[in-house]
Order: sequence, then structure tokens, then C-alpha cells
Amino acid sequence: MSTEPAATAPLSVEGLTTSILVGTTWYDAVRDISFHVRPKETLALVGESGCGKSLTALSVMGLLPPAAVRVTSGRIVVDGVDMTAADEPTREAMRGDRIGMIFQEPMTSLNPVLPIGFQVGEALMRHRGFTRRQARERARELLELVRVPAAAERLDAYPHQFSGGMRQRVMIALALACGPRVLIADEPTTALDVTIQAQVLALMADLQEKEGLALLLITHNLGVVASVADRVMVMYGGDVVESGPVHAFFARPTHPYSEALLAAMPRIEGDLPLQPIPGQVPSLTEMPVGCRFQTRCPIRDERCAVLPPMTTVAGDPDHRVRCWARVEA
Amino acid sequence: MSETLLSVRDLRKIYKTRRGWPIPRTALVRALDGVSFDVRPGEALGVVGESGCGKSTVARVALRLQEADGGSVTFAGADVLGASKSELRALRRRMQMVFQDPASSLDGRQRIVDALGEPIRVHGIAHGAAVRPLVARLLDEVGLPKSALDRYPHEFSGGQRQRIGIARALALGPDLVFADEPVSALDVSVQAQILKLLETLRRERHLAFVFISHDLGVVRYFCQRVVVMYLGRVVESGPVPEIFVDPLHPYTRLLKASSPEPDPVKAVAMTFQEGEPPSPVDPPKGCHFHPRCPIADARCRTERPELRDFAPGRTVACHHVG
Repeated sequence: MSTEPAATAPLSVEGLTTSILVGTTWYDAVRDISFHVRPKETLALVGESGCGKSLTALSVMGLLPPAAVRVTSGRIVVDGVDMTAADEPTREAMRGDRIGMIFQEPMTSLNPVLPIGFQVGEALMRHRGFTRRQARERARELLELVRVPAAAERLDAYPHQFSGGMRQRVMIALALACGPRVLIADEPTTALDVTIQAQVLALMADLQEKEGLALLLITHNLGVVASVADRVMVMYGGDVVESGPVHAFFARPTHPYSEALLAAMPRIEGDLPLQPIPGQVPSLTEMPVGCRFQTRCPIRDERCAVLPPMTTVAGDPDHRVRCWARVEA
Repeated sequence: MSETLLSVRDLRKIYKTRRGWPIPRTALVRALDGVSFDVRPGEALGVVGESGCGKSTVARVALRLQEADGGSVTFAGADVLGASKSELRALRRRMQMVFQDPASSLDGRQRIVDALGEPIRVHGIAHGAAVRPLVARLLDEVGLPKSALDRYPHEFSGGQRQRIGIARALALGPDLVFADEPVSALDVSVQAQILKLLETLRRERHLAFVFISHDLGVVRYFCQRVVVMYLGRVVESGPVPEIFVDPLHPYTRLLKASSPEPDPVKAVAMTFQEGEPPSPVDPPKGCHFHPRCPIADARCRTERPELRDFAPGRTVACHHVG
């Protein structure tokens, strides 16, 4: 891990709040979250549906639907450019060039009527002024980089001719085309079989090392987090409830939600009893005031009506938790 | 040996696909290529494998939602594949199904009381005003309030909808439920709730399950025995937890090694193996798994390994095991 200070990290987010319009009221779906990702580092954003993890990614990329969702406050700096202050042409120039993106379902991100080679090279023509021929040549190299077999012959193939795992590799090639510094992967392996997931994650880790990428990995799968991430941020109801280095987090999950999430996961090894989390995530319009986990929390008390600050765990300044009951003396 | 509730023997299902342009060619997909297993009363049998291995087809063919192309299915002594329409109707009271996405199997314009009351009325269990209390009792059993009766499917969350799907499967008092990825679409916290519910139902109703899933952790929690499928064939079967603690077939080992556990100490070696799972359209000769197998040799490329007994309760189809 690099020791580069947060301010110059390829991706740095300060106090991001993103709101959604429901009816005529704006509700905060992501509340005051801050993080940074250094080169070669993987930060995992974990949580269940509606926790705000994907919304955070879309905020970073500036891909929020303008009428209904907006960044209310905070700063997002990608490779030195303040995305929140930038105009749309600047952000568009950043996307696909400085920031690469990979989504869960490659079939919906790839254009079904254009050949793979053209789609991989398109960003180079758009952002780097490559000619069609140059882009095609580079596309072949990129497909080889992501280990698509017989890359040269498959430049003219269409997305439907690829399997799910191969399509996701094509998406990775596309995301890496312009040599971005930041890669945002939103559930990149969720739709894949486990053996293919292992391949794709291994490939991403390998390329990340080679290209020195800062990777923001969004996932609901704590197993994937344990396997590939350096640091983890657990989100619930739009708040970061715990963050820390992966080893510290799994050795000592501290927020009641983190503990509950781990206890609710069936394991292949060991016979830990399965403990469901009662209830469900409240809808955005019905979020409690203060700590948003309080409606499902086994240790809630009257203090929870006020949102707790992030405090350290076991004196470790990197491992932090947002819970009144876990504040250290 | 205890009694058998469901017995599947040498089940075969072949799909025809037409691919290619401009001259399409007909290709045969052997979705089930001689699959056999037994389910005992009150037992949960897990069927695991990756996309295209035929695990969902097993349920559809055994319930005769699709017709088999060979083999036999015996349920409580009755021949399912040869059953007449009226016999099948009686059998279906006792064999039900729960789907991955209950939203797509519920009619959006039908209230819950009507959706769940329909099978009760159709099968003549109750009529008129007697239906409603029966449905209310089912909802209570799956942890939903009475107020759910008059609501519509879209008013429920994913976990609640799965509870409704389970209640509907229970409506006719079945002995066996085929559950096809029943918790895959749910968040972890809700998934655990549904697994607990299914476990309670299994014990209290002495209900048997064929539990189809790609998630080994979920299967380990819920099932007593497991069948591992690969491209239409059973490659290994055995009891939980042995089959996961000490998997025999190289494919079962690969599945286990690829399934990430939430523990960085035991983190999966995300090793890069070359190769894609072959398509069931044109499966490799011999052992279907040989192109991805680290210990395959010449025999594996030509000769299909038969499923044979390895230890009490454990079978495996591999030339190199035992």
C-alpha cells in the first residue's frame, strides 16, 4: 500500500451527501461520507440493497439522473479534478478516460449491435484521437491483456457471442482502454458463477497491480471483500457505520450491523449458528432520526436518537465505527 | 436404509436449439444426461452446480412442467412421468415449487388472499368464506400479518414476497417442495430470515426439500445431503458436512475453493485458471469436466466415469478418486 497522503490520492471524497427527490421532498440517501483510494489499493464499499453504495459510485462518476437525484454537499476529487465543481463536458471527458467503470451486468452496458473490437476502441477514438485502425490494434492488445482467447479473431464478434465471464472481461478491457487512474466496479462479479467470479477477481487484481489502479469495489458479498480488498467501508441507510483495514475489520467487527451481517452469512466451513437480522431496511422516507440502524439494533438505547460520530476501535486510528455503545473511553 | 419419498432414476432431458446464420443448424443440449438421486421424507437435498448444469431442469422435469426424454421419477411409490392428468393433479398437491423471484410468479393484480386461496379452492380443500381463515393461517405460519391478506404483491419487499411464495407452496400441504434458488435474490440479512423459516417448516411439517442453489454456504446450512451437478450429470453426492469438508470430485473441490468466505485468513486463492466452462451444447467427450481438471489424463478425455459408491452415503464420478 502506498503512503501517498489522502489529498493527492487518485480518488478522494470529502463529506459527500447525495439526496433523492421523493414527491416534493429531498431525502438524504448518502450522508456525509468521506474516503480516499490510493494507487494499487482496493477499497470495498459493502452493504445491502438501499444502503447507498451504488449511489455513491454514481455520484463519483457524475452519472446521477439530474431531475431526481443530486449531490447536496461535499467534494469529489478524481485525479486532481473536482468533479462536483466541474461542468458536464469536463466530467464527460473524465469518464472513460481517468475513471473506468465496470457494472454488474455487462450485457446491458455493451451495445448489442456493435462489434466488441469497436466498443473497446471507441473510448480511445473519443478521448485520445486514435484513428479507427489504431483503436482496433489497441483493442486487440487490451483483449489479450484481459485474456480473451483468440483476441484477434474476436474483434469482430458481437456481445451475444460471448459468455458472461468473457463479457465481463471485455468490460474490463473497455474500462482500462485509456489507462485510467481510478476504476469503479459496481458488483462486477455478482451475476457470475463462483469459479468465473474467482477468475475475474484474479484478473482485476492482476491488472490493478500492473496499472497501479485505485479500485473502488462495490459489493454486498463479504466473502469477496475478505478475498480481494485492502480496506472496507460498511454502509447502512446511507451512512458509513464502520471502516477499516480488512484484517482489522474481520478480526474485530465492531458495529452491531457489521456483527449482525457476518452472523447472518451461512459459512461453508464451521458450524456457526445462523442469526438473521430482524426486520428490514426502512424506506428512505421512513428513516429514523439519528442512527439509522436503531430500528433493527439489539443494543439500541436513548442515545441513538442522535447520530453518533465515527470513533476509533481498539485505539487503531484506521479502524473506525459509528456507534454510541462502541465509543472507547 | 430409511424409506424414499422421491426417487429419480437416469433422468434425461434433451433440448433442441437452432443456432447459426444464415443456415441454422439444430444442436442437441443434453440438459439432463442420466441423473439419479433419492429424497427421504423430511430431508433437504441440495442440488448444487453452476449455470447450465441442469439443476433447474431437474425440478421442472420431475414436476412435469416439462416432459422428460427418458428415465423415471417415482414419488411415494407413484410413477410421476407416466401419471395421467388426474393422477398428476393429485401428485401436485404433494409436490410444490418455490421460485427464485416470487414477484414474477404472482399476479400483480391479484390480492394475496386470492392468489393463495386459488389452489385451496381449485383442489376443493375449502370454499367460500372458509378460504380466508386458511390463508390467514398460512400467512401467520410464514411470519406475515393478517393485514397482508388484502394487499397486492407490489406492496411487499423481496423477503416478504418470498414468504408469500412459500405460503403458496404450503397451501396444499405438500410432502415435498422444490425450491429453485429461493434466497439468491435476497440480501444477506433477509436471506437468513428465510432460511430459518424454511428450516422451521421442514422440521414442524416434516417437509422434504429439493433445494437448488449455487451457494455452498446456504446449502451447507439448510441441507442434509447434497448432489453436485456438472453439465447435466451428477459428479458427486454425499452428506453434509462431509461433502464440503472433504470434497472428492475435482469439480466439487474447485467450487469450494472458489467460494469466498468472509475471513481474510481463509481468503480464496483467486487463482487464475484458464478456460471457460464448456457449453452444454457441445460438451467435451469422456468426463465433461476434463478440460478444466488439474488431474485429467488420457482416460478422462475418452471414457465417461460412472457414478460409483466411494464410502457409505458418498458417491463420486471420477476415474482418479478411490
